[in-house]
Amino acid sequence: MENQQLSEGKQQWKVLVRLLAYAKPHTKTIGLAFCLLILTTVGDILGPILVKVFIDDYLKPRNLSFEPLFMLGTAYLGIQILNVIISYFQLLKFQEIALKIIQEIRIDVFSKVQSLGLKFFDKTPAGSIVSRVTNDTEAIKDMFVTVLVTFIQSGFLITGIFIAMFILDVKLALFCLVILPVIFFIMSLYRKLSSKFYHDMRERLSQLNAKLSESIQGMGIIQVFRQEKRMREEFGVTNEKHYTAGMRNIKVDGLLLRPAIDLVYVGALIIVLSYFGVSSFESPIQIGVLYAFVNYLDRFFEPVNNMMMRLSLYQQAIVAASRVFNVLDEQEVSPSQKETANKIQEGEIEFRDVSFSYDGKRDVLKNISFTAKPGETVALVGHTGSGKSSIINLMMRFYEFESGEILVDGHSIKEYPEKELRKKLGLVLQDPFLFFGTVADNIRLHNEKMSMEEVEAAAKFVQAHPFIEKLEGGYEHQMVERGSTLSSGQRQLIAFARTVAASPKILILDEATANIDTETEEAIQEALARMRKGRTTIAIAHRLSTIQDAELILVLHQGEIVERGSHQELLSLRGLYYKMYLLQNNLADRIEDVVS
Amino acid sequence: MKVFLDLMWFFKQEKKAYITGVLLLLIVAFLQLVPPKVIGLVVDHIEQGSLTMKMLGTYLLLLVGVALMMYILRYYWRIMIFGSAVKLSMQLRNRLFHHFTSMSQSFYQRRRTGDLMAHATNDIQAIQQTAGVGVLTFVDSLSTGGFVILAMAFTISWKLTLISLIPMPFMAVLTSWYGTLLHKRFHLAQEAFSSLNDKTQESITGIKVIKTFGQEKEDIEDFRKQSNDVVDKNISVARVDSLFDPTISIIVGISFFLSLTFGARYVINGELTIGQLVSFTTYLGLLIWPMLAFGWLFNIVERGRASYDRVIALLNEKADIVNEEAALNATPSGDIQYEIQQFTYPNEAEPILQDIHFELKRGQTLGIVGKTGAGKTTLLKLLIREYDVTNGQITFGGNQITRYEIDKLREAVGYVPQDHFLFSATIGENISFAKPLCDKEEIQAAAKIANIHNDITQFTDGYDTVVGERGVSLSGGQKQRISIARALLLNPEVLILDDSLSAVDAKTEEAILTSLKENREGKTTIITSHRLSAIQHADLIIVIDNGQIAQSGTHDTLMDQEGWYKEMYLRQQLEDLVEHGG
Repeated sequence: MENQQLSEGKQQWKVLVRLLAYAKPHTKTIGLAFCLLILTTVGDILGPILVKVFIDDYLKPRNLSFEPLFMLGTAYLGIQILNVIISYFQLLKFQEIALKIIQEIRIDVFSKVQSLGLKFFDKTPAGSIVSRVTNDTEAIKDMFVTVLVTFIQSGFLITGIFIAMFILDVKLALFCLVILPVIFFIMSLYRKLSSKFYHDMRERLSQLNAKLSESIQGMGIIQVFRQEKRMREEFGVTNEKHYTAGMRNIKVDGLLLRPAIDLVYVGALIIVLSYFGVSSFESPIQIGVLYAFVNYLDRFFEPVNNMMMRLSLYQQAIVAASRVFNVLDEQEVSPSQKETANKIQEGEIEFRDVSFSYDGKRDVLKNISFTAKPGETVALVGHTGSGKSSIINLMMRFYEFESGEILVDGHSIKEYPEKELRKKLGLVLQDPFLFFGTVADNIRLHNEKMSMEEVEAAAKFVQAHPFIEKLEGGYEHQMVERGSTLSSGQRQLIAFARTVAASPKILILDEATANIDTETEEAIQEALARMRKGRTTIAIAHRLSTIQDAELILVLHQGEIVERGSHQELLSLRGLYYKMYLLQNNLADRIEDVVS
Repeated sequence: MKVFLDLMWFFKQEKKAYITGVLLLLIVAFLQLVPPKVIGLVVDHIEQGSLTMKMLGTYLLLLVGVALMMYILRYYWRIMIFGSAVKLSMQLRNRLFHHFTSMSQSFYQRRRTGDLMAHATNDIQAIQQTAGVGVLTFVDSLSTGGFVILAMAFTISWKLTLISLIPMPFMAVLTSWYGTLLHKRFHLAQEAFSSLNDKTQESITGIKVIKTFGQEKEDIEDFRKQSNDVVDKNISVARVDSLFDPTISIIVGISFFLSLTFGARYVINGELTIGQLVSFTTYLGLLIWPMLAFGWLFNIVERGRASYDRVIALLNEKADIVNEEAALNATPSGDIQYEIQQFTYPNEAEPILQDIHFELKRGQTLGIVGKTGAGKTTLLKLLIREYDVTNGQITFGGNQITRYEIDKLREAVGYVPQDHFLFSATIGENISFAKPLCDKEEIQAAAKIANIHNDITQFTDGYDTVVGERGVSLSGGQKQRISIARALLLNPEVLILDDSLSAVDAKTEEAILTSLKENREGKTTIITSHRLSAIQHADLIIVIDNGQIAQSGTHDTLMDQEGWYKEMYLRQQLEDLVEHGG
């Protein structure tokens, strides 16, 4: 247990150091901020000293000559005003630095995520990746902006106060040093307890929210299956647990936060008063020094309170940061390219004995071999889980494969530069994902050089032009919520246009024809036929009717090619393809033939 | 401050805690006055040389006593006041949840999940703040502020008090002005953050597209731009935020300066002792917090009020589907008859269904087909009373469905929705959702009929496999089949499959339909589908077009008519028939 705590402490320290490394590029600005901070601290410390001089040298001897007092007053006010101005810039600078640092971290994580292989996205839910990039970095921001800055500022002020105290009275200052270990003890105790309880409460809260959000989304199901009462009870239990955790936090806060620090404050006052009281029995003392000490003590505890209140943020930020670093250290990067071959000219594709497994245990592809000559279409058929999508995933280099080889124009696909592959291979996804932005943005994507004419030409080519023109604003029509106002067929057509606009040499269609109304399908079929012309195509289709003109149809079953040939050849084979065909077409009499 | 009145019911409910809490707060505020006073007295005695060891000891003992008292009382008022506030948030959350479970679907159509979540989290948080920190700030700033000013005015000097207080109102005014500025800018910063969030969300979900087009670099550039915006907006927050501390310190500084210069004069005049002056400045330090707190108070209360109003408005929404008076406490069974002249969704102008008349005998299978948006799903939702028929009626077992208790009506129905929703729980728990205490055999039997048993046993944890965000991801087809098993487990009088086979392949569809036929002998089944093969064997097929029944009959009779059904059926096979022409 003890050991674990120690290593946790070490771990936290490592995370903090790594976070601070991000400050390096800002050394200059940080230096400036620190200079300003030193100035403001000096200003803060000087005030009470001036008052002390005033009390001891003028007020006590009842010596109120105008000139020196005027000087003193001016000095006091001057320092105050200067102090305010400097401290404003100091506060601002620190925040700016913190924000810049967070931006760097954010961009780092985002870039890292972009470079990861799809395996990573399979095992990590999208929501949690987004959380790493935004919410977790936001928690780190809170730490930089409030915790670190507060700690630095408070640390300076506390040091300054002690220096002033030592200048005023060494012995008393020594006594006052006792406060430090006491405060340190309270802090570390609080940190220990609160990190546990606070974490527990966060956990309960996220459970509570998860339950709530899930229930709202599934309310239809809950109601139709009449489970309202059970869900209420379950929610009540989760809620109660969260309440208990909340109460425990209040107790810890109450015991160790402000009330405790105030207790220490009075303790410090007692030290100061008894010191002056006792020494006044022996020799006269300077009231001004007493005043200054009391005043310093007043100021001393506010930063301490601030630091204490921010400890829980620190804890959270460290946890968040370690999660962020986990992503940054993620090994599941995209397959890399050797970049020895350069251009894809013809677009011939050959799979040679390719086997593949996602988890390293179960092969989803077993010894797949086939060739697609330039301009030909190879269709992949088979029911769900037969391995069709995996073939496309390998072809697109979304996943790395070890066994067998995929050749494009005679060179291994691993040898082409990534850029060349992306340029020449056009993939149309099952789900035509549309981004926020206009229709034109969605066809063009980030390729800003593409002219409006090219965008339109692409849209015309796939027959998307007529319906786009009818949209409000035409090509400048803003997509809302991933194009939910468009029909799925229209979205599909935009995705086609996007692919055409990129003018790939090889076309890869992933279940692009599923889930579309029969009416829209005709337009899509037409567009597909046009797109396929002159391009090597690998296509997955649910409906066998869409791929009948393919030069080669591969029938997959549990990762193996069980039948291959043209539509007619496969039909005459009267095997799996034929059965699928009959089932899909409801040719009842023929099914009877096959069965009997 | 009206929100305090709104919350009166809760303060009354927790009156013991609140009264104790407030009393403790008052005592603490009073005790706080002791240390500065003691300092002043000690200073005076030192200066006059009248301090004795005994006196000093007494003073110090007093301080120790006061400090310990304050520590204990401060701890307890927190438990009382903050504890009650947490309780309030728990109660409100439970109430909201209870309310959510009793709201009809039209409510969920109007309100998005995100909004509802915001009410249950942010709004409740704000209300908790009001009932906790709000009450504290209100009581504490009034009492501490009041006591300190009284102590300064009556035990030291009212003139000096007035003089030194001159700058203080500026602090309250300025900080609350900063507060409003900050609020606006903060809002902008939040917006920038949330659009960065959206951007990230989009890039992650669209990662395949980005990778396909090799646009990672460009996308990172776009992200950088957006994150620049976040930084800018946050810096503009920092510009205001950084004003707080300097403003406070300058105003406190001026106040100190005033009290020292004028105080010094009174000391010379003999109106004040030096000790009193020292006490006075320490009191002044105690005033900073109530001044600041008053600025915050308005903020907290303002937010609390808005939140409370929102939550109450939500709680006051009435469910529009409710039991009739003296509704039948019996599970319906028998024939189902639709006689709908017209149905319009709430808040919409165009009717979605018109002239829907048909009868389904007990034990029959009904197939509903038609284009997307034709009204197929609506037809089903009316049967389970997610909405009530506005013009017309549906009878079930001889009674209008509105005559039954909603609970009883729904008991008769097993519904498999279009969007297969599974809970983050094990597969077994999901299938037994409507009957949590059933045994394993029942779950497996249902899974087998839905043709998902074999898939489930392939998972390492079998039926104990957790699904959802934290668990394995299932394919759409698998989810659909689990949803079907969930409904089948009840062996309901009426089974509704709302396009529930869209994500399974033809072979699986065939298998499920066959096993359904075997297992649902004598029970009613309603299926909607895009694929005509799914409903081909139904006893009655109705074709919905634009909210009306365009055609109805069996597959054979429909194939004998010219119309949508035949056209669609032929179209789905035309090419093949031509090629294989017999």
